[in-house]
Amino acid sequence: MTSIPSNTLHTDNYLNHTRGFMSWAFTLDHKRIGVMYLVSVLVAFFFGGMAALALRTHLIAPGTEMLSEDAYNQMFTLHGAIMVFLVIIPSVPAALGNFVLPIMLGAKDVAFPRLNLFSYHLWVIGAIFFLMSLFTGGLDTGWTFYTPYSTDTASAMGGVIPALTGAFILGFSSIFTGMNFIVTIHRLRPPGMTWFRMPLFLWALYATAVIQVLATPVLGITLMLLIVERAFGIGIFDPALGGDPVLYQHFFWFYSHPAVYIMILPAMGIISELVSVHSHKHIFGYRFIAFSSIAIAIFGFLVWGHHMFVSGQSALLNVIFSAITFSVSIPSAIKVFNWLATMYKGSISLNAPMLYALSFIFIFTIGGLTGLHLGTLATDVHLHDTYFVVAHFHYVMMGSALFAMIGGMHHWWPKITGRMYHELTSQIGAITVFIGFNLTFFPQFMLGSQGMPRRYHDYTGDMWLPETVELFHTYHFWSTIGSYVMAAGFFLTAGYLVHSIFRGKLAPANPWGGRSLEWQCTSPPPHDNFAKQPTVGDCYDFSVLRWDEAEQGYTWREDVPRPGEGDRDPYEKGELE
Amino acid sequence: MSVLDTISISSLAAADALPGRGFWMPERASTVAGDVDFAFNLITWISVFFFVLIVAVMAIFIVKYRRTNGREAEQTVTHHTALELTWTIIPLILVIIIFYVGMVGYLDLRTSPVDAYEVRVTGQKWFWTFEHPSGCIEVDVLRVPVNRPVRLVMGSDDVIHSLFIPAFRVKQDVVPGRYTTLWFEATRTGTFDLFCTEYCGTGHAQMVGHVIVYDEDEFDDALRECREWIEDIDDAQLHLAGANLFNRCQACHSLDGSPGIGPSFLETHEYFHDRRERDMIDGTRALVDENYLRQSILNPRWNTVAGYQPGQMPVFQGQLSERQLRSLIEFIKRLDEIELDDRGRPQVLSPDQIRELGGDSPNDAGAEQ
Amino acid sequence: MDDHGHDHPPHLGHHWADSQQQFEAGKLGMWLFLATEVLLFGGLFVGYAVWRGNDPELFQYGSQYLDTWLGAVNTAVLILSSLTMAMAVTYAQLNKQRALMVCLVLTFLGACGFMTIKYIEYTDKFQEGLFPGAAFYDGPKDRAASKYWVEGRPVITRETLLELKRGLGERVPESDIRRPERTRAIAQAEMSAIEPAAIGPRGMGEDIRRELRPRADEYPPPHPVQDPNRPTNAHMFFNIYFMMTGLHGIHVLVGMIVIGWLIVRAAKGHFNSEYYTPVDLGGLYWHIVDLIWIFLFPLFYLIH
Repeated sequence: MTSIPSNTLHTDNYLNHTRGFMSWAFTLDHKRIGVMYLVSVLVAFFFGGMAALALRTHLIAPGTEMLSEDAYNQMFTLHGAIMVFLVIIPSVPAALGNFVLPIMLGAKDVAFPRLNLFSYHLWVIGAIFFLMSLFTGGLDTGWTFYTPYSTDTASAMGGVIPALTGAFILGFSSIFTGMNFIVTIHRLRPPGMTWFRMPLFLWALYATAVIQVLATPVLGITLMLLIVERAFGIGIFDPALGGDPVLYQHFFWFYSHPAVYIMILPAMGIISELVSVHSHKHIFGYRFIAFSSIAIAIFGFLVWGHHMFVSGQSALLNVIFSAITFSVSIPSAIKVFNWLATMYKGSISLNAPMLYALSFIFIFTIGGLTGLHLGTLATDVHLHDTYFVVAHFHYVMMGSALFAMIGGMHHWWPKITGRMYHELTSQIGAITVFIGFNLTFFPQFMLGSQGMPRRYHDYTGDMWLPETVELFHTYHFWSTIGSYVMAAGFFLTAGYLVHSIFRGKLAPANPWGGRSLEWQCTSPPPHDNFAKQPTVGDCYDFSVLRWDEAEQGYTWREDVPRPGEGDRDPYEKGELE
Repeated sequence: MSVLDTISISSLAAADALPGRGFWMPERASTVAGDVDFAFNLITWISVFFFVLIVAVMAIFIVKYRRTNGREAEQTVTHHTALELTWTIIPLILVIIIFYVGMVGYLDLRTSPVDAYEVRVTGQKWFWTFEHPSGCIEVDVLRVPVNRPVRLVMGSDDVIHSLFIPAFRVKQDVVPGRYTTLWFEATRTGTFDLFCTEYCGTGHAQMVGHVIVYDEDEFDDALRECREWIEDIDDAQLHLAGANLFNRCQACHSLDGSPGIGPSFLETHEYFHDRRERDMIDGTRALVDENYLRQSILNPRWNTVAGYQPGQMPVFQGQLSERQLRSLIEFIKRLDEIELDDRGRPQVLSPDQIRELGGDSPNDAGAEQ
Repeated sequence: MDDHGHDHPPHLGHHWADSQQQFEAGKLGMWLFLATEVLLFGGLFVGYAVWRGNDPELFQYGSQYLDTWLGAVNTAVLILSSLTMAMAVTYAQLNKQRALMVCLVLTFLGACGFMTIKYIEYTDKFQEGLFPGAAFYDGPKDRAASKYWVEGRPVITRETLLELKRGLGERVPESDIRRPERTRAIAQAEMSAIEPAAIGPRGMGEDIRRELRPRADEYPPPHPVQDPNRPTNAHMFFNIYFMMTGLHGIHVLVGMIVIGWLIVRAAKGHFNSEYYTPVDLGGLYWHIVDLIWIFLFPLFYLIH
């Protein structure tokens, strides 16, 4: 670390506090655990992405023989399972949340550091079980493990039980992270930080943690039932033995629909931070944004049946589920409008985090609005299980949740690594990914509404009408081209980020002008985060900061007293609380 | 209600005037398609409006309030309850309207008329079987009359499948252990796609068929042809008729020796030709003769060729007429006389073409084919 | 608060301000964990409700093969052990080391007693061949040793049972039939007018009650495999019985490990009125395990 004296991290920080593999693998420091999560999640993202590229390449034209049917089925299962269980669910809460949450609270660590480490180890064990499924016959059930396909040994491949076990373990990893965050937010808030003065990212993480704690156990029991059924064939979901295959779908979606909000809520929290910090303007409608997170978390538990409109569920249930589904769209809409209002008369820096935030708003608007098509009963019957659904959930889960995660990663990158990445390259990367994403997934809306079913290995054959094949070919072709553009963008991003670790400029404590507490400690933070517990003000009031040319970052304005020192902040005196 | 009805009727009229695919939706060929498309277009236009609004505002803000030349953010209010309530309540009203439109359309989709023409449907890995009241059983081809409600009563023999006809805007999962139903009334004659949309394993993408919509009188002829054509094929051409039935087998059995779920028919043909015995999974050996083939088709559970998983092949007992069964056996016996294309599929001739080869005059009942 | 790390007691983590904060956090964390436990079992309780709603006769029929006395004794044992656990927490707070030790050991013995009785019950079920799944229909392995098996009575297979029921004009749900072959799908198409998913709970119709009533006096009941009056899918009761009591049993085993660990630490004198968090939290866990059993006992053993 001393070879390049002019450009090296010299202060004692969490990265160089102790050394050696064991000091990382068994660390109790939330920052190191967060970094390990981040690296692991990105590695998993690489493999899931490679699977996606293979799928897209295979589908570029009808009749391609690149992947056999079974290989294709395994590939899309792998892609889905990796991306859902190993990437998106842990990406924001476990990776970024772990790093940022305690610092935002001015705390030294999360409430239960050992449990936190255990969560990470569970993640690794879960990932190993997923890998095992590849070597025990493969997994071709789709990430949803629908019965009776998954429990029928004559149908599904042999890797079902290891994969289910892996998902089970990952579920507990997620539960423990959620528990940790709830307790940390309840018990480790600093003096002066009331509930309504928490950064919105913390509200989002809190709402997420509630879902993680309350929904994931149901996934646990569902997977356990499935393992028992698969191993012993006792007939829980087998109609031949008096069981009900559709009951599984209820169990599964009772978790997996709230899981969608485990993915999107923390992403929305990140966007609230990014939009206000990079517009240098106070967030608009703080309480509406905070409450909408809670509303989404609550409504999210009541809408699982909208995945089953054509499953044979009764018409009455369908109508009820459809009605409640629409109620989720309102809080989402509120957030989007509030973000726009935050930008109004702001001072918008178009750096990479903000570009990802703007991409998020663009993409999430499309993803959310196409959700209306799917929540509406009459149209969902036509669109269910077609590429329209594929496009919709990629707009929401990838274009929204994952883009927010990448945006957040860019936002906190200086804090995590202590280095700045190259700005222009990062902007090019963000725009390339944005274009590639839309080119990949927008054609899939038309593909789906025109009737192309999802999870199809091929779209030609004796029974296909030629004009249908021709139309699908066009859309598939452009979708594949888009995926290459997006992949190029991601490789560029990976390139400049890795480059920045070794060659990047040293980061100031506060490169963007953020007001929440993580920007008040050094970059990277010291082992204990804060020597003295900081006092909290209004974390969205950016008028107290000014650009310091010497620091190349933002510092506190000399003419403004810090919170606790003066009487500038009405919150401080309890007038507005 | 009445307003909505008028709008949907007028959109249906527009559908008749403008057949063929739109940008979003495939052609409309059923009575409910107009309502579904009305709901779809309504939501799409509302979505387009909000999307354009949001993105335009965003773009204006980016341009206008860009951080250049030391521009600082102006302080504005940090919340405005009336404004927030506005953008809570307007979307709320809109989604209530959307929900209502969708619900009404959906209840129409679910409520089938009582006098509907009923077809029994069975989903199996990886083909559809359609059985008409008159006894015609066909695979992957659903023949229906135009302008008459049709009700499908569907069951599955293995895993969950889902029957989807895009042009009719209908879809319903097919679940083992229970019946699900689906109805439609076709408004236009022609051939339309039919897909399986619930992932069901290796051959999911092959579980594709046709819906053929006929005029009422042509429909009867088509059904008669479906029932009877194979009966008057000469024995000399019977193996060609077998190629017509082979699409039921092709998901698992290849003709060119390439591996599959079940043994390739090429191997079976060679065993038959040389009168050889095959190793079976229970350790015995079975002579491949006509009886072996008959048994393997009608009741494949009696035994399984070594190296393959038992229980994979559906039971065909009761699904094939004696003549159909013979044609399949002839097809395997005389596989060397069948032309294969480059993908290993047999050349399939229409009933008329087969009859012509036999020198018979084509049966006028099948002339429409 | 600023000079942390100097006057910290050994149990206090570096990120806490004081013992009180740490204790409260631990307690909140434990309650959250208990919430996940409740939801974990909640899935099975919902499953129970669905299956019972659909096929109440399965539960009325199956419960007669459970031993209510053993269940009741087990309930008493568990409630007593919960009491001793609560007393252990109090003695820890009062700094009474000896009484703490005695109570923890008593709780541990209660757990052992529960598992022993559970072992006896399970062994009995296995000997009688009352398994979950299709193995149920093989009957007991050692027929001579069976309480229920009567040599010479005919064996009623699933297929003959269906034939019998059809003969009586009873409508047999298609789900009762082995994976439906195509031919049967066609034969039964007259049932197609019913929308299956819309069927609510069938409820205990008067006819079902009448059929089962005289049998309540008959002990021992006939072995299900020989019983022409058994409901189709009688094994389903044992599916859910073994899943729920099995998962509960695993929780008792975990509880034994926890209590054992508490005993070891108590022996080392780790707990006192200043620091008793592990005893308190372990106690909470043990109470939830107890509480779940208090629901399981009536659901399986008592209500018919």
